[in-house]
Amino acid sequence: MELATLARPYAIAAFKAAKEADKLASWSKMLSVLSAASGHERVSLLLESPEFPADVKAHRLAEVCGDELDAPGKLFLQALAEHNRLPLLPEVLLQFELLKAKEEESLDVEMVSAFELTQEQSEEIKTVLKARFNKKISVEAKVDKGLIGGAIIRAGDLVIDGSARGKLTKLAETLTRN
Amino acid sequence: MQQLNPAEISDIIKSRIEGLDVKSEAQNEGTIVGVSDGIVRVHGLAEAQYGEMIEFDGSLYGMALNLERDSVGVVVLGDYEGLSEGMTARCTGRILEVPTGPELLGRVVDSLGNPVDGKGPLNASASSPIEKVAPGVIARQSVDQPVQIGLKCIDALVPIGRGQRELIIGDRQIGKTAVAIDAIINQKNSGIKCIYVAIGQKMSTIATIVRTLEENGALEYTTVVAASASDPAPLQFISPYSGCAMGEYFRDHGEDALVIYDDLTKQAWAYRQISLLLKRPPGREAYPGDVFYLHSRLLERAARVNAKYVEEYTNGEVKGKTGSLTALPIIETQGGDVSAFVPTNVISITDGQIFLETDNFNSGLRPAMSPGISVSRVGGSAQVPYMKKLSGGVKQALAAYRELAAFSQFASDLDDATRRQLDRGARVTELMKQKQFSPMTVSEMGAVLFAANEGYLEDVPVDKILDFEQAFLSYMRAEHGDFMSGVDESGDYNDEIVETLNQAITKFKETQTY
Repeated sequence: MELATLARPYAIAAFKAAKEADKLASWSKMLSVLSAASGHERVSLLLESPEFPADVKAHRLAEVCGDELDAPGKLFLQALAEHNRLPLLPEVLLQFELLKAKEEESLDVEMVSAFELTQEQSEEIKTVLKARFNKKISVEAKVDKGLIGGAIIRAGDLVIDGSARGKLTKLAETLTRN
Repeated sequence: MQQLNPAEISDIIKSRIEGLDVKSEAQNEGTIVGVSDGIVRVHGLAEAQYGEMIEFDGSLYGMALNLERDSVGVVVLGDYEGLSEGMTARCTGRILEVPTGPELLGRVVDSLGNPVDGKGPLNASASSPIEKVAPGVIARQSVDQPVQIGLKCIDALVPIGRGQRELIIGDRQIGKTAVAIDAIINQKNSGIKCIYVAIGQKMSTIATIVRTLEENGALEYTTVVAASASDPAPLQFISPYSGCAMGEYFRDHGEDALVIYDDLTKQAWAYRQISLLLKRPPGREAYPGDVFYLHSRLLERAARVNAKYVEEYTNGEVKGKTGSLTALPIIETQGGDVSAFVPTNVISITDGQIFLETDNFNSGLRPAMSPGISVSRVGGSAQVPYMKKLSGGVKQALAAYRELAAFSQFASDLDDATRRQLDRGARVTELMKQKQFSPMTVSEMGAVLFAANEGYLEDVPVDKILDFEQAFLSYMRAEHGDFMSGVDESGDYNDEIVETLNQAITKFKETQTY
């Protein structure tokens, strides 16, 4: 089954709790720390081991995170442990961020361009994207020479391929198609 | 091979480039998370529609059939060996389409409309989605024009009309495809365009059929849609819908078309395979729950539409003409079991069936049609008056013969009336035999049936009936050629015609040349 489907109920629960306490940002930080911690080699060995009972795992993980975890966070961790879903933490973070982005009407956009963009170009693109999606845009810019020219913009599932490489591939497919 | 000159080549490429729309559109992309047995699971693709074409790298397409919360199940329309986890899949926003139009006549194409006969690109004028809603009640008109199959047993006993669905059902190797091919060959001068959809057949069989059609001059008004046994199941599953879409082009433009699905049993198997791999719950005989809908939505599209519908569809270009699409689906039964799941489904959908029985076939009655249980629910309304008048007598003779069949073993102990009925029935049954690829015209069939009805065959021995028929028809063609073509054109039945026939037969019998 899809991890997203399994993680979603937990993410929704965490989001609701965060929203009620008006602590979206701190919950977001907490989940990032938990996700990073659970990804560490030794920690993940512990989490996946059947030797230890659920509350021990939750306790250990909480110790690792230390002050970053508050009381509700610890309870959340216990709930996850009881259902054996600790390895899902990275996916829970992902779903939580999606819900948070929807709530705050912000959108994470990844832009890969062939050449470094000037400040002016970046601002222009941000404005156009904001008008298109009607949300706060945060752009993560990367450079990939392999695109030859132009750029590819990714926002969630949506992909706008304006790269020269993409156009050439399309051209090749049209010419070689029967 | 086509011969191109160098200037043409650069022109072709130039037109292709100009035709290319290089505008970058926003597309929905997802990632492949699993590939197995022709089914690809794609993570993402939140905007995918049901039945949408999904594009993979390398011009490979798939159809989105399972829309789940966080993933989409896509059946690949082609070879899936090159796909692997992590590759991207894109939504195209288009529901699966195939090329349609008169350019498809004379061609052999695959389920997606790509030509496979090596005769160059199609350059089709139009394209159409393969799944369409059938015309509604108001758009239809009752079926009253005949489709002449050219086989006596069918045109006399179970006549088929333009816009009807008539099922051809029987065991393997019993002549189902032969009936279908004879039907196509007989449409040479009728103006009906034919589409033959070969589902799950051997490629050698399909090649033989194409050659047969070509040899009989039938290929020029026929399109063959080939989804052979080695094609992946999704292509076999969609091929009847593609063929139907191609036939609908003619229907919607005020013309008549005939589509033959050979056979729907294999399409049901392909659909069962896909559904089980998509983890849909299996029902009776492991078929998915919607196997009835699979066939009903296909066959409902075969219809006769009225002139108003055609006018609206063509934006006023074609006025005053009705269009029709006749369907001849073929179902293969196992051991003559017509009460199995898929056969009963399709029997309940179609407007009649032609049962071909093994016993008949083995005892030499070919076409092996069983007149007792074959039926056409359109019947006489789709016959020209000439045939309608003459087929009544044949039906009665055969029905009486069946009733008395058990007594035929005591032939010597029976009274005269019964013996006459048995004799008559035996002769009519013998008359229903017909060679493959020898379709008969309306006038020829009528003349022979007239002879049977009026008792002219009583003194002809049963094993000489077919020789009599052959000789009689050559006589009619030679001596009464104009009369025969006149009847073919008008289809009338009147006293004058009866008189001409009576005289002709009497004279022919005097010559004793059979």
